[in-house]
This record gives sequence, C-alpha cells and structure tokens, in this order.
Amino acid sequence: MILHTLNRSPTESRVYRQALAAMGPDDRLLLIEDGVQGALPSLIRHFGELDGRLFALREDLEARGLAGRCAAEVLVVDADGFVTLTEEADKTVSWF
Amino acid sequence: MHDESLNGEVLVILRHAPHGTSWLREGLDAALVAAAFGRRVTLLFVGEGVTALVAGQAVGALGQKGTQPTLEMLAMYDIDTLLVDQQALDERGLGVADLLLPVTTLAPPELAATLAAHPLVMNF
Amino acid sequence: MRYALLVQGGPYSRQAAHSALRFGEAAIARGHRLETVFFYHDGVYNAARLAAPPQDEPHLVDRFRALHDNHGTQLKVCIAAGLRRGLLDEREAARHGKQGHSLEAPFELTGLGQLIDAGLSHDRLITFSP
Repeated sequence: MILHTLNRSPTESRVYRQALAAMGPDDRLLLIEDGVQGALPSLIRHFGELDGRLFALREDLEARGLAGRCAAEVLVVDADGFVTLTEEADKTVSWF
Repeated sequence: MHDESLNGEVLVILRHAPHGTSWLREGLDAALVAAAFGRRVTLLFVGEGVTALVAGQAVGALGQKGTQPTLEMLAMYDIDTLLVDQQALDERGLGVADLLLPVTTLAPPELAATLAAHPLVMNF
Repeated sequence: MRYALLVQGGPYSRQAAHSALRFGEAAIARGHRLETVFFYHDGVYNAARLAAPPQDEPHLVDRFRALHDNHGTQLKVCIAAGLRRGLLDEREAARHGKQGHSLEAPFELTGLGQLIDAGLSHDRLITFSP
C-alpha cells in the first residue's frame, strides 16, 4: 500500500488526476497544504471513490479556517497521524 | 503488464516539460546518478513529461541546454526501460513515432502496478 | 524506523520546509530516528546561512540545525543544485574564487547519490515539494 500526498487544490491544478491515476485499489491519499481545499464538500467529488482512503491534515485545515467545513467522509489526521500513515504504507509518493 | 515495467529498483516519474522548469532536468539527474550507482532505474513519463521525449528539440533561451542530450545518454547508463502514459500522448496528439527513443506505453491500469513494483519512487 | 526527508521547496515562499519540519518533529516524537534531510531543487535555499527572518516567524535554518544538534539528523544539500543557486560552503567558495560563503555546517554539500542511498537504505523517504 502506498501513501500519496497531494498539496494542490483540484481547482488550481490537475495534478490530482495524475495522483488518482497512479493509485492502486488499497492506496491512500493525504491532502496537505493547499491540497486540503479538496476536502470541502463542494470539491470532494473530484476524488471519486476513495471511501475510507481519503485523508486531510488537520493542522493545514485549521490554519486555513477549513477544519469545520470538511466533508464528513474525509478522515482528518494530525501530524502524528500523518507519521502513522507513513508507517503503515510501504512507501510515500508526493504529488505537487 | 509488461515485465520490464516491474523489475526496477528506482522509479523516476517525470511530469514536467523541458525548459519551463528544472524539474525534468533534475529528475533525469537523479535517474542517471541512481544508475551510475548500479541501481536498476525505470523512467515513467506522465502528463507534460511526455513532451520531454519529442524529437527535434533545441537549446532554450540563452543557450540553456535542453534534455535531448541527457536522453541520448540514458542507454550508456543502462536505463532502457522508458514507460510512457498512453493517455498523456493521446491528449497531445502524439504517438510513439514522434518520440526520440523507443518506449513502452502504459494503459491507465498499469500505472499503479508500476509504482507498487519499485521499492523507491521519486516524483518530479 | 529510520526516516529520511526530501525537501524541494524554497524557504518562506512555499510551505514545503515548514511541512517537513513539522513532520520530522512529529516523527521524532513518535520515537523514530530522523537520520537524513536531503535538500534538492529550490529546497537548497533552506541551507542559506545568512537567512534573517523576522523574529516573529519560525527560523527555518535554526529549526533544521536543531534537528542535527538534538537528534543527529544529517542535513545534506545537493551540490549540483546548490552551486547553481549560489549555495557554496567555504571550500567550494574558494574553489570558485568567491569571497564569502553561503552554507556552513551542519549543512553539508553532497552528491545526489546520497539521496538515492537514503531512499533505498532508510525505512521511509517522505518528500515535501513546492
């Protein structure tokens, strides 16, 4: 299982499509930095069927005032949880 | 799935066009160094990265070196597994005949298996 | 686990270095060994010894230096990417006939081979890009 990180909003860059195309059926996606905008209910549709595999970094959501606006299906993790995700994954690939 | 896409140690993903940024050149540098250290290296061109392979490139502004000379060195470093995202070629109206080097094209479902098969994946 | 980080974003203009430090500190807090931080692309600017951020902002150079001083993290800067961008230690400055130098210990100029080596020999390599 690979952890993919994404630091771009789907409205700003199409790199999220490259990340999704490269993801295996068990891979996970963590939204960080400007990427956390993708966790908004109006944008989450860009990530298709990642039920239970779509994460967003709490600190980056909070810094942007978005923590309470996150779609319910997004799993919010803090920096400690980010580390845990990297422990659980065989490797991590960054999309930017 | 093509066997050659699954037997490398280092996968370098190239997603940027030549000249506009240094990502392509710096990604290729990482690939060459890995190969020079004896690692089996696979290159995967996706998105704008496929334009790196287009034949007939020239130097850029101020004589900035393009990537063609580096690409021509790949064989010398035993980097001969060049994978290209077929969809990225299609989007740009390009075919394998437009490219400098022989490549293997990958259909979308083969991308994930390629990433999973390499212990080290570096994305540029 | 043994961790390596790859930082590719320039300081202050991108969040990459802030994210990398936050991650690195969290990894250490969870008991991991952060053995290497490698700087590549515009990430090499994080090693600029003359960085003088305002006092009310995080001092990125000092935070990376603290990783080295407190946890033994090696701070490796790609020499090819660094020289192009004006990041030279005393030795390289002398070799290129430059007055002054812009990079000093604990940051060290190294080849890209060290990045490949870190990627394959550490348990995890986490990349922070611009």
